[in-house]
Amino acid sequence: MSVAMPNVNETWTGKILEVTLGAGPDKGGTRGKTVTVGGETTLPFLHFEGEIPNKPVVAVEVRDRAPDDWSELLVKAWGDSLKDPAAWAAKAEGLGAEIIALSLDSAHPERGNTGAKEARETVRQVLKATSLPLIIYGPGQPDKDNEVLVAAAEEAAGERVALGNCEEKNYRTVVAAALANNQVVIAKTPIDVNLAKQLNVLIGDMRLDRDRILIDPTTGALGYGLEYTYSVMERVRLAALTGDSALQQPLIVTAGYEAWRAKEARTNDGVPTQWGDWAKRAVLWEANTAVTLLETGADILVLRHPETIPLVKRAIAGLMTRAGA
Amino acid sequence: MSPGDGTSMDDGNGRQCLVRLEPSEQTVYIAFGGLLEEAITQAGLSVPLPCGGQGRCGRCVVQVREGTVRRRSALRLSEDDIEQGYALACQTLIEGDLTVWVPPHEELVQRLEAGDRAEKAAPEVMLCDHAAKPWVARYQTTVEPPSMGDNTPDLERLQRELARQHGLRDVRPTLAALAKLPTVLREGEWTVTVEIEQGDWAAPDGPYRLLDVLPGSAETRVLGLAIDIGTTSVATYLGDLETGELVDHASAFNSQIARGEDVISRIIYARQPEHRQELQERVITTINALVDEMLARQNLMPERIALATVAGNTTMIHLFLGLEPQYIRTEPYIPAAGKFPPVPAVSLGLHMRPEALVDCLPVVGAYVGGDITAGLLRTGMHEQEAVTLFIDVGTNGEMVLGNSDWLITCACSAGPAFEGAGATSGTPAVTGAIEQVWIDPRSLEPTWATLGDAPPIGICGSGMISLLGEMMITGVIDKGGRIAGHGRSPRVRRGEEGPEYVIVWAAETGAGDKDIVLTETDIQNLLRAKAAIYAGATVLCESVGLAITDVERVLIGGGFGRHIDVEKAIQIGLLPDMPWEQFTYLGNTSIQGAYLALTCREGRAQADELANKMTYLELSADGRFMDAFTSALFIPHTDESRFPSVQRALAEARPERVSHHD
Repeated sequence: MSVAMPNVNETWTGKILEVTLGAGPDKGGTRGKTVTVGGETTLPFLHFEGEIPNKPVVAVEVRDRAPDDWSELLVKAWGDSLKDPAAWAAKAEGLGAEIIALSLDSAHPERGNTGAKEARETVRQVLKATSLPLIIYGPGQPDKDNEVLVAAAEEAAGERVALGNCEEKNYRTVVAAALANNQVVIAKTPIDVNLAKQLNVLIGDMRLDRDRILIDPTTGALGYGLEYTYSVMERVRLAALTGDSALQQPLIVTAGYEAWRAKEARTNDGVPTQWGDWAKRAVLWEANTAVTLLETGADILVLRHPETIPLVKRAIAGLMTRAGA
Repeated sequence: MSPGDGTSMDDGNGRQCLVRLEPSEQTVYIAFGGLLEEAITQAGLSVPLPCGGQGRCGRCVVQVREGTVRRRSALRLSEDDIEQGYALACQTLIEGDLTVWVPPHEELVQRLEAGDRAEKAAPEVMLCDHAAKPWVARYQTTVEPPSMGDNTPDLERLQRELARQHGLRDVRPTLAALAKLPTVLREGEWTVTVEIEQGDWAAPDGPYRLLDVLPGSAETRVLGLAIDIGTTSVATYLGDLETGELVDHASAFNSQIARGEDVISRIIYARQPEHRQELQERVITTINALVDEMLARQNLMPERIALATVAGNTTMIHLFLGLEPQYIRTEPYIPAAGKFPPVPAVSLGLHMRPEALVDCLPVVGAYVGGDITAGLLRTGMHEQEAVTLFIDVGTNGEMVLGNSDWLITCACSAGPAFEGAGATSGTPAVTGAIEQVWIDPRSLEPTWATLGDAPPIGICGSGMISLLGEMMITGVIDKGGRIAGHGRSPRVRRGEEGPEYVIVWAAETGAGDKDIVLTETDIQNLLRAKAAIYAGATVLCESVGLAITDVERVLIGGGFGRHIDVEKAIQIGLLPDMPWEQFTYLGNTSIQGAYLALTCREGRAQADELANKMTYLELSADGRFMDAFTSALFIPHTDESRFPSVQRALAEARPERVSHHD
């Protein structure tokens, strides 16, 4: 006996915008590869319901100075390349990164206090060392962010890099830099759908094209508020698909940063033996965080550990395969 | 077709039009399509253009008495106005020979008063509409003098006559009245005027009390005192209990402010008994100063005040009566009483007849107090069918939704921003307070109006609403409330407290010592206040299945000033985007309601019923509130589609800024 199954597909009125990072010589840049994310017309991986024209991608974090607070697992995995951002970026590309997320950490007043000149030099080197598109993060201190992000945006003019983080307190400078140099911004807000929308409206009021914005809704790691941030991302995506034009940008999440703050990944000191093998646990912590966020709509996942990259990419490939295909 | 109702579309290019200006009888020639404002300027006359000729402020209104014009914008004009030929000089194009009346300045101001502002006359008095028994009344009585044949004592002699002549039975004297009685009877040669307290809310039928006795037919009045104890401001009305006539009024900041800006910090401060006593003394000192001020002005003695009715939020009433307020703050939020017994004035030390009663209006819950009961009484919405939203914009934003069948209420902490406290240049609505501001979108130069046309001393609530709306429309701030106009004018600067906008330079102020500014911190406080109120109102409506725009009338109470500029209040997202005529500003509804309960027996009875009838919605237990609050923490709102008129105003203001006068 056959039972007629009702069609439960939703018809969404909204569509996620496509955002392209990186520009090749034909578009005024020097990138060998560019990445386009977004374009979804349905919730994550519901291929039967709508279009998912672009697969989510993996970005790998590279810093302009060897981090002194990273877990020794990460330090060991990257080895000497940690001391040279260009070498680090090249290695990440070799390991499967699709975007390089370059952090100008040395500009932080307590971590070197380097300025615009050094930032330009780093950006130049990294652009030379990799064919991938770039995300460029400031050190997270408003005055220095303004200084080095503006310099980086100018140095990378034409390359269509993503500048981050663009937050409520500094958005005017970052957006102005993006406008002047045709770049993209990462609009970051603290885990709230309203705040995410407000920042996008403010950025929009400065007349930056809507497809030059990525939303970083701020996330937590597995065991550290992941489910809450999952819900917030879900709300952002639902609002976008139901037609809220101020939230229709692709989502970027810093899964590596979050996961490696968790004790379970960071350290093996004083943890119960039942927690098992540290190296395995740490990588799985990062991968699990990333894959969970993938399921709620992440389009770009910024990762840290080399071994996490293939795990997450394998999950993406699986999720992008249509059932029966 | 009325003059000025121009629909002429013919191309008059190059044609010179003759414009006659009245009453000065000047004539000028202006090219077809020129602005009325140009004609006026060319004739050497002027109209005020505080908004920079953007058609936003409506101050340049003139009347086209003959001829054809085309109105580019008539935003400030009603259909009637247009019918009568009124036009904005800055927005009206000349399309033929004209006769135009350019009103003198005073007339302009007057027209403006009636514009889009929800206005109130201050102070407003509600009279009892039926001849009911006042709470305290005077009676004149002639008593048979005693003799050897009738040795009834003085009191019984008076009581006998009061019963016989006025039907007043079993009147009990206060000790003070009894002490005076023998002398007064003889001094008045057995004719006396007595002051009788005719029950109180708890015992409306008595026993009646003899409060005072005066010789002869005394011309004194029986006065009552209405008091509104706000967290930020205290207001008092002195009125005639027998006629309801308002005699005087006075208000001041509550001196408890020195011990915390909101009710929670006051409750925390009051944890120590000596602090609780200090807070009681502070508010009573504030009230007594106001009473003394009014009595001195009216040349009256404190004994003439025979009753006081007090409205205030639950915490304020606790502190006023010296009750323990701690249990208001902690779950399950319980006040000491809902209905307070009347207490003699002497026990509180109020400057009035010591034996007279002080009556506090009933509270609904820990955070919906007697001020809202009083306010509701004032609005009369409980007697109407129309679904009405009443918002009392105080430090504690309280609101009531409903009609004659049902009433629901909630409270949200808004802070004192709209009462002029807690802002760098804030002031209550007193003479010299800036109550309206316009900003020229190009130069960012402000034009302002003060209460009483006095030199500016600060900015009151209505001024802040007006200023915030202008700053948003002209781009001095972004929609997040951050100052964004750096470099466009010396008025946008970094001050001691961070970024700020200078409204008045020190030299132009009343005191002459400090610039009048609005800082980014002030703006954030205003933003939180308006967000709390809008969020409270929307959640209250949603709780009964209504959208806020389904409400038929919105009544606004609060101490903003003389008026509230509804358009600006919508622009900043304080009030919902509804047609302006659906809003009414009532001013301080709490004091008006207290006055009504003071002077009207029926009003006092209704206050009790209303306190019983209101359903209380606890917002802290409602998950929707925080979400609604965050989304309202934006100008006008994160969901811009809720404010279509503001979207239109922005779309009009911004391209205009670049498109003409260049």
